[in-house]
Amino acid sequence: MLALQHVHKTFSTPQGELPVLNGIDLTLQQGKSLALMGESGSGKSTLLHLAAGLDLPSEGEISIDGRALSTLDEPARARLRRQHLGLVFQQFHLVPSLNVIDNLRLQARLADCEDAEWTAHLMARLGLSGREAYFPEQLSGGQQQRLAIGRALAVRPRLLLADEPTGNLDEHSADTVLALLLDLVKETRCALLMVTHSARVAAPLDRLVHLHLGRLGDNAS
Amino acid sequence: MILRVLATLLAHYRRHPGQLAMLLLGLWVASALWSSVQAVNATAKDSYARANALFSANVDELTRRDGQPLTREDYLTLRRAGLPISPMLEGTLQIDGERLTIVGIDPLTLPSDNTLGGSGDALTAFLTPPWQTQLAPETLDVWGLSRQQAPGATPAVNKNQRLPPLALRPALPPDTLVMDIAAAAALLDRDNTLSQLVTAPGALSQPPDGYRLSRAATLASPEQLTESFHLNLTALALLSLVVGLFIVQAALGLAMEQRLTTLRTLRALGVPAVTLVTAILLELLVFGVLGSALGLASGIWLAGQLLPDVATTLSSLYQADVNQSLVLPWHYWVGSLAITFGGLLLAGSGVLWRAARLNVLALGQSQAWRLAYQRQLKRMTLGAAAVAVLAMGLALWLGRLPPGQGVLASFGFVAALLLASALCLPPLINGVLHLLQRWLRRHPLAHWAVADIQLQLPRLSLAMMALLIALATNLGVSSMVGGFRLTFLDWLDQRLAAPLYINASPSTLAPMLDWLDARPDVAETLPTARGSVDLLAMDDAQQQGARERIALFGITPNPTITNGWPLLETAAGRPAAWASLSANSVFINEQMAVAKQLAPGDEVTLDTPQGTRPFEITAVYPDYGNPRQQILVPTKVLIQRFGGEIASIGLVVDENADRQALRQALADRFDVAPEAMVDQQEIKQLATQIFERTFTITRALNGLTLGVAALALLATLLAQARERQRQLASLWALGVPRKTLTLLPLFQLGGLALFTGVVAIPLGIAITWTLVAIINVAAFGWRLPLYLFPWDMLITLATALGVALAAAALPSLQLWRTSPQAMLNQGAT
Amino acid sequence: MNHSRLSAALVAMACLMLIGCQEPSSDAVPQGFAGLGEDAAAFAQADASTPLRFPEDHGPHPDYRIEWWYLTANLEDDQGEPLGLQWTLFRQALTPPDERPAPSPWAADQVWMAHLGISQGETHAAAERFARSHSEHANGQAGVKAAPFQAWIDDWSLESPSEANFEDFTLQAYSGEGADRFGYTLTLSAQGPLVWHGENGFNAKTVEGQGSRYYSQPFLSITGRVTLNGETREVSGKGWLDREWSSQLLSQQQTGWDWFSLHLEDGRKLMAYRLRGGGPAGGDYLFAHLLAADGQTELIGPGSVTLTPLATHSVAGRDIPTRWSLTLPDVNLQLTVEARHPNRWMPTSVPYWEGDVVVRQAATQENIGVGYLEMTGY
Repeated sequence: MLALQHVHKTFSTPQGELPVLNGIDLTLQQGKSLALMGESGSGKSTLLHLAAGLDLPSEGEISIDGRALSTLDEPARARLRRQHLGLVFQQFHLVPSLNVIDNLRLQARLADCEDAEWTAHLMARLGLSGREAYFPEQLSGGQQQRLAIGRALAVRPRLLLADEPTGNLDEHSADTVLALLLDLVKETRCALLMVTHSARVAAPLDRLVHLHLGRLGDNAS
Repeated sequence: MILRVLATLLAHYRRHPGQLAMLLLGLWVASALWSSVQAVNATAKDSYARANALFSANVDELTRRDGQPLTREDYLTLRRAGLPISPMLEGTLQIDGERLTIVGIDPLTLPSDNTLGGSGDALTAFLTPPWQTQLAPETLDVWGLSRQQAPGATPAVNKNQRLPPLALRPALPPDTLVMDIAAAAALLDRDNTLSQLVTAPGALSQPPDGYRLSRAATLASPEQLTESFHLNLTALALLSLVVGLFIVQAALGLAMEQRLTTLRTLRALGVPAVTLVTAILLELLVFGVLGSALGLASGIWLAGQLLPDVATTLSSLYQADVNQSLVLPWHYWVGSLAITFGGLLLAGSGVLWRAARLNVLALGQSQAWRLAYQRQLKRMTLGAAAVAVLAMGLALWLGRLPPGQGVLASFGFVAALLLASALCLPPLINGVLHLLQRWLRRHPLAHWAVADIQLQLPRLSLAMMALLIALATNLGVSSMVGGFRLTFLDWLDQRLAAPLYINASPSTLAPMLDWLDARPDVAETLPTARGSVDLLAMDDAQQQGARERIALFGITPNPTITNGWPLLETAAGRPAAWASLSANSVFINEQMAVAKQLAPGDEVTLDTPQGTRPFEITAVYPDYGNPRQQILVPTKVLIQRFGGEIASIGLVVDENADRQALRQALADRFDVAPEAMVDQQEIKQLATQIFERTFTITRALNGLTLGVAALALLATLLAQARERQRQLASLWALGVPRKTLTLLPLFQLGGLALFTGVVAIPLGIAITWTLVAIINVAAFGWRLPLYLFPWDMLITLATALGVALAAAALPSLQLWRTSPQAMLNQGAT
Repeated sequence: MNHSRLSAALVAMACLMLIGCQEPSSDAVPQGFAGLGEDAAAFAQADASTPLRFPEDHGPHPDYRIEWWYLTANLEDDQGEPLGLQWTLFRQALTPPDERPAPSPWAADQVWMAHLGISQGETHAAAERFARSHSEHANGQAGVKAAPFQAWIDDWSLESPSEANFEDFTLQAYSGEGADRFGYTLTLSAQGPLVWHGENGFNAKTVEGQGSRYYSQPFLSITGRVTLNGETREVSGKGWLDREWSSQLLSQQQTGWDWFSLHLEDGRKLMAYRLRGGGPAGGDYLFAHLLAADGQTELIGPGSVTLTPLATHSVAGRDIPTRWSLTLPDVNLQLTVEARHPNRWMPTSVPYWEGDVVVRQAATQENIGVGYLEMTGY
């Protein structure tokens, strides 16, 4: 499903070249979940962004469903993203101008694959039924993140990429959101790559890798 | 403590220098345009004050009945007969292309409180060699002399002559050199002849035998005449001030919003509300000083650029001479500073109010801004309705006023109209966007774009209001100018019927007329004449014996002239009107018809040399470019019955006549310069040129106002750019291509601006109507037909679009050049 | 037309500025009243070296800086009401003789100023005229000819017929229009000789020797018509004509003068003045000339008179002495001289007080004469 081969990423900074990822090899199978752990600055988010095609690696190759991202131009990567990927961010990145229901189906509509039944089902699963006309800022943090997860899953993505999805939530909300996320991943049978620094959050996932100084300390558990 | 609080508050701008720049920019443009127009006005007022000092010493003039030039012998004879007259010699000097007027006087006999006192040194210096040249400091520019160098300097006039030593007299009008008549006679090589014999108004009850007495006309002072013109300028400046303050208000509001947490924290840490408000007030003061210093400096520079055109306008339109360099009295500086600070306080009052009633407990509470904005929109709608009622009231009142009155009220009407439209613009946009959202439900990106622009509306609405005002004014003014242009050129064509014109002194023209009539190559001579007559008060109840001097103009009512001569109204049709003109009726110009509320069929009572008698008015004619009232009679009647003088001769020559030969023959025979004969085309060209310059300042100010509105929009967009980028980055993460994301804001803003432009068009037409039907009539005394120019409207729409795209381009470019990933990361910090 | 009117009008203002805007004089040296103390070395200087010559000296002396023809008259109208009048023609040279501009129609080296004053009771009417001339032009707006004598400015004139030069005169001067018109037409006739106020007609005005050429015709009998307050009346009475020219009348320390010309009922005439400053030991300079009824000098010289103000009156914002004690100890004459009315201020470009007075015996307060008083520099 997702494959990273010898991926290097170097950023140019005023202080010189800054290597962030140094030869990452990683694969993720359909329907599997992988937790990517590491301390701040270890390059977790960079790796996630590369996997989403938001950025390209300096060296190496990333492929999704066998398609090498480097062979796709920006519009093609954008199309790939809206049709086959779901992204969940720590900051939710909801669209403040749209209400709950419009936020939920935004990506699906952009990808032109809206499924009204599935959307309604998601609303129910997310516990947001009855709040369709609310605006994001009228929801609690946990609700906002659930909405963000719903938005990502509304397209029935093949790969869900989550960046500290519970990082902004209290412990109770975090647990609820995480449980819902994993349930829905199972339900849609999509692959999940989740970046987190919390072992507790990483625990329920199929596999766990550590990122340290740009390299994987691969210790699958 | 207060300084520490202030430092904490100001630290915000270190992190957001863009907001600081926007704030200062707003203050700067607001104060710059305002102070530049006020500088122009102050300078003009100063010039009027000088000219008024002259008008208050208005004089009557004597001329010889036989048309011969006046000489010293006339002067001595009349003086020995006890007439209190004074000799004057006037001429022009050409120095480096500048025309200077030389006025030679005899200070001993001038009709005024002149005195021969003190130590007498000043008088002696004036009266005796090397004499003295008195001039305004501004006139020194001709020689590039400084004020320090000037006193005593003797600039060369030509190879052989120098001016008498200069002495500065700030109260003199510019480009005028006043000196003793002996010195002037030497410079102008005049010997014994005089330009004028003058006397105090009313000093002579009747002219001596052989002389004609021209009374000082009771003319309106330039200040009165130009009042509306300056009101116009002030209104335009006020407009840009308001637009500039919109920017300031937006910047302050944004900074306040972003600092709310800081403010609450400060309050929580024990800073009293009073200290907080004072600190914000101090902050405003700091900005005020910076902004007004910038504004004054560039305002004065701008005024220097605008002044030559204003001066041209005023002299061509009102014969009011205005100084070409700025004169800024102390109250100008105080006034400009007061306006800037006042405006800043007004714009900042909202911020102060919010700081004063800040709720400390609201710390961290999410803002219910969506509801608040809905309430604000409701208030705006109510406000717009109230102001619209006011505008309608004013319009009704104006409709009942006689024409030519209510300049202030009509400006009030325009202001109310603009305000009402501006206030109802955001609710209107909001409603339209609401409908659009529904309609676009199936098009997610378009739906998002509309929803997103609606979200931005609270911030953008001020800028859009500014744009609406600027666009509408622009359209209004350009339609007025365009309409005037059409009317004026048409009128010029009709008025200038003869292909050739000769201008010279009456004493030269009179014999020339006979000579021309005798020539076979001259098909027709069409002399015009000028004079004046006392108009007696029409209503005896008004003021017994009240009389007013009115200018008389004489034309030769031959078919060449009468076929084209424009008439606005007639009592019984054109042919009847022209027939009646030759039979003791008169025409009056539109200015007189408006000022005196006369119409064809009415009578005027004139004090002719043959006695007082009524004359029927049979037509009213348009008289653009003339600030004063005028009565039209045939040339013959004017000369024979009203003691007028021939003023020019229109010539129709045979088709195959040699114009050059005629010109030369005239020059040889009558000692007139060849330029005395002017081609019709040249006059038209000159008139058109003057016309174009007349409206230069209006156009310039208009353009600047539009520029300020564009700046307001740009500033607003820049201030929210970072937040916007985050929004767009989220969309990008959801798989919207970057190119689409870059273009989206252009569509959003372009659409918004286009809508604003569409609203501006009817508003602009309303402004044109007010200008044409009310303000112009009051300001100039003439009414123009209302022309609408579809092309101008298209340009207005294009301008709106252009302004929006120009303002949106920069943030979009930024978006294009920043990696969205960086924006996503930005959001994460 | 428009433009010319504008410039015509602007000039009136320019004129005002000649005086109004001039820089204050930088040197603090006082220059006497009306600049009459200014140093005038480049002009001809008055002295006693040659006697007066007539008729030439009736005419102008353009090489001297200042000169005047000065008539005052104490008249009575047909109702017996006293009435005073003055007519004065002043000449002032603008330049010293060697700096005169070349003659041209308007070039001037002389400025003329004339004052007309009539007073009766509370009424005091005054007018002023100015003119320029070149000393090489004979027929200007103003001028004086010696024989037949003619002094004029505009339509004001004082003239003698050639057969009685400087003995018979006609004087005509009017000002104003309509109801505001005032002036007079007078016939004057000399009843006695011309009087010289000093050796060869030189009258010293300071102890340093500055002075003027000064002679008078104090024996004029006058008849004529005076128009005042809209009425014209027959008048008759006495007149006094002064002729004086100089280049430096006052010293720089002298700030003004009090000048008396009195007609006593016994036929005697008295001229007396006090120049404030410039006298012995920095005091005032006083001079008197008492004439017998036949014109013979009874008493002449500096220091022969005392003049003491007895009462002042506030006129035009200044304290003006309107009652005087005048004593000539050498001839045992003690007089009180009092203005008929304090309102005799001449609001002319050089303002001063000039009016008719009554003369009384100091002891008995019995009226013994009339006269004129001129006070300057207050």
